[in-house]
Amino acid sequence: MALKPINRKADRMVTYLANQGDVPPAEQMAGPVGPAAGAVEGGDENAEDVVALGGRLPEVPEIPHIPLGCSLVFAPGWEVDEAGGTAGLCQPVERDLFDCHLACFWPAHVPDQLNHSPDWTGKCAAAQNDWRKLEMIFP
Amino acid sequence: MVHRPRLTRARLLAGLLAAGSFVAASGASAQSDEEGFPIEHETIRARCAACHLPDSEGRMSRISFERKTPEGWQGSLQRMISLNGVTLAPEEAREIVKYLSDHQGLAPEELRPGLFEVEKRMIDHRYLADTDVEFTCIQCHSMGRVITQRRTHEEWELLMSTHRGYYPLADFQAFLRMGPTPDQPGPDGEPPDTRQPMERAVDHLSEVFPLHTPEWAAWSATMRPPRLEGTWVMSGHQPGRGALYGTVTMGGGGEQDAFVTRASYTFPATGETVTRRGRGLVYTGYQWRGRSFESDEADGAMREVMVVERGMNEISGRWFRGDYDEIGMDVRLTRLAGSPVVAGVHPRALQLGGGEREVRIFGAGFADGVGPGDVDLGPGLTVNRVVSASSEEIALNVTLAPDAVPGGRDVFVGGASLAGAVIVHDGIDRIQVLPRTGMARVGGIVFPKGYQQFEAVAFDDGRDGRPSSDDDLELGPVEVDWSLEEYAATFDDNDIEFVGSIDRTGLFVPAADGPNPDRDRNRNNVGDVWVVATLAQDDNGDRPLRARAHLVVTVPLYLLFDPGANVSTGASPDPAASSNGRGGRTPGPNPGMGGSPK
Repeated sequence: MALKPINRKADRMVTYLANQGDVPPAEQMAGPVGPAAGAVEGGDENAEDVVALGGRLPEVPEIPHIPLGCSLVFAPGWEVDEAGGTAGLCQPVERDLFDCHLACFWPAHVPDQLNHSPDWTGKCAAAQNDWRKLEMIFP
Repeated sequence: MVHRPRLTRARLLAGLLAAGSFVAASGASAQSDEEGFPIEHETIRARCAACHLPDSEGRMSRISFERKTPEGWQGSLQRMISLNGVTLAPEEAREIVKYLSDHQGLAPEELRPGLFEVEKRMIDHRYLADTDVEFTCIQCHSMGRVITQRRTHEEWELLMSTHRGYYPLADFQAFLRMGPTPDQPGPDGEPPDTRQPMERAVDHLSEVFPLHTPEWAAWSATMRPPRLEGTWVMSGHQPGRGALYGTVTMGGGGEQDAFVTRASYTFPATGETVTRRGRGLVYTGYQWRGRSFESDEADGAMREVMVVERGMNEISGRWFRGDYDEIGMDVRLTRLAGSPVVAGVHPRALQLGGGEREVRIFGAGFADGVGPGDVDLGPGLTVNRVVSASSEEIALNVTLAPDAVPGGRDVFVGGASLAGAVIVHDGIDRIQVLPRTGMARVGGIVFPKGYQQFEAVAFDDGRDGRPSSDDDLELGPVEVDWSLEEYAATFDDNDIEFVGSIDRTGLFVPAADGPNPDRDRNRNNVGDVWVVATLAQDDNGDRPLRARAHLVVTVPLYLLFDPGANVSTGASPDPAASSNGRGGRTPGPNPGMGGSPK
């Protein structure tokens, strides 16, 4: 199925993807990494199995392929977002860090104010500015 | 696809307001209805009894009703120290962890499914016995934490209460149902399950992971101090460096279950030889926890987590380093006991065509004066002469017949053999990048870098010529050109300009932590990229083979439940640079899991 731009933005994306090297656009647009993640392996790089922006939507893998230890369940995700990428993360992380700390929202990722690290932010009034004063905690 | 409600802070706040003070207090009642383990260790009785009251049978509340790995017990001890005001000398902490791991540990069969947790492997893991329980637990941590514990029903309940006490939001993140109580029969016609997720988890875990099991009864009856002194033949694989072969010599460490080690091994692909010396302590009769160094304790420190197999003739596991334990190698040790041992062959993959070639066999105990007739590489492979030979390595001049049948060959040397030690193939048909999905963490300024090592593995598609079929031949790692390409998750985000770089060995080095003023909205140097391997085909004008993997470059961890780790800012993957302690560590015993068995 050939790519069929339906508006100007789609057209720009086609151009953008075409400039990203010789990986077929379809594989760059395949969305969450699933079984097709390594699909270039020796395959026909001229294939035009384009699945974005027109016609049927691609078959979405049931579960994104997430490395062990990633937490994506609480919005917006810590290591990855719900789609298995970083596009949806709260960024920069320092902007949200103290909320995570105060609310104990990420107990396995950020020191919690309630028990383990009540003074974690003592040297750091605003993480976006003073993030160098934060320390890793070993509970 | 099952839709899971995702918890945002707005929903959380609403839930908190609606629920009021839902968290229930849980006392550590004596669990007299179930038989716990008497604690006979004087230090535990002296230092822990103020809170963990012993009963007339010598059982102490909470402690007597759990079984864990050494890491699990050490984690409990760390929590007692950091949150409950316990003070212990490092020697006392080591004694306690050792006693509890030996007397209330896991049998080998019980630990095996959770080995990835203690070996710190970044793997894909699914807990299929109950995916709802899995969902409840993996909100915050790996299921490996759970399946490496055994508890009574009441203890699983108390564990849940501990979580709720320390982390009140867990109720709304995982433990309580979001939404109305189900009132309709399920698809199977059974009445609806109205239990809260945490109740379901307790019921399941206490049934599947009870305190008393036949496996533990059998193991604890036969468990004894291991006798590991002697020479062991070492084989292994380190992503990015290839196969390794060598020997490990173990001697007594001055006390029961303690050993000192001296290892020497070679990476045939590069010719690099490494020598290490270290110490190890065996917990529960089979769980090796060690630490070794290349020269002194600041140089090339690696932690060693291995399992001594029954029979005490095989030991296997992972040696690793890195602030996130991400750089490591698989290791297998085979006891050298009189007869020779074949550890491996380099190169393992032999392509049809070409003339004579050199093949090296690694192992130990090879007899003096070995001749071509003493070595059998299998059909189609003729040993012309022995180029050189020592007790640990034999170099051969070999001819591969043009009509040799592709496939694996067992190798025989003297009385020793190794199955599938050589692979005959007719060319590389495809390559694959491993891992298929990787993760790195930005760092180097304040928080440590988390590296990701990739490697490219070659395949022959086999007789049927179809990729990914049963007759494919895995040919091992190959040298490729590495590059990064944009993973177009967000339009024009140019992640590859910021996330870091990949070197010629496939090691991805992430960029610095902190907000980046050069990025849109000060984003961190996080992003998604493809890691692309390209193998040039130098014959017949074939096109290069390419493969790729998805790499997530993400934010640091600001808290690390790993008391055995030494953490630096990780500015360099050089092991010498990652062994410096740094601020922020909560004072604790840090017994080092065998790092110092005295």
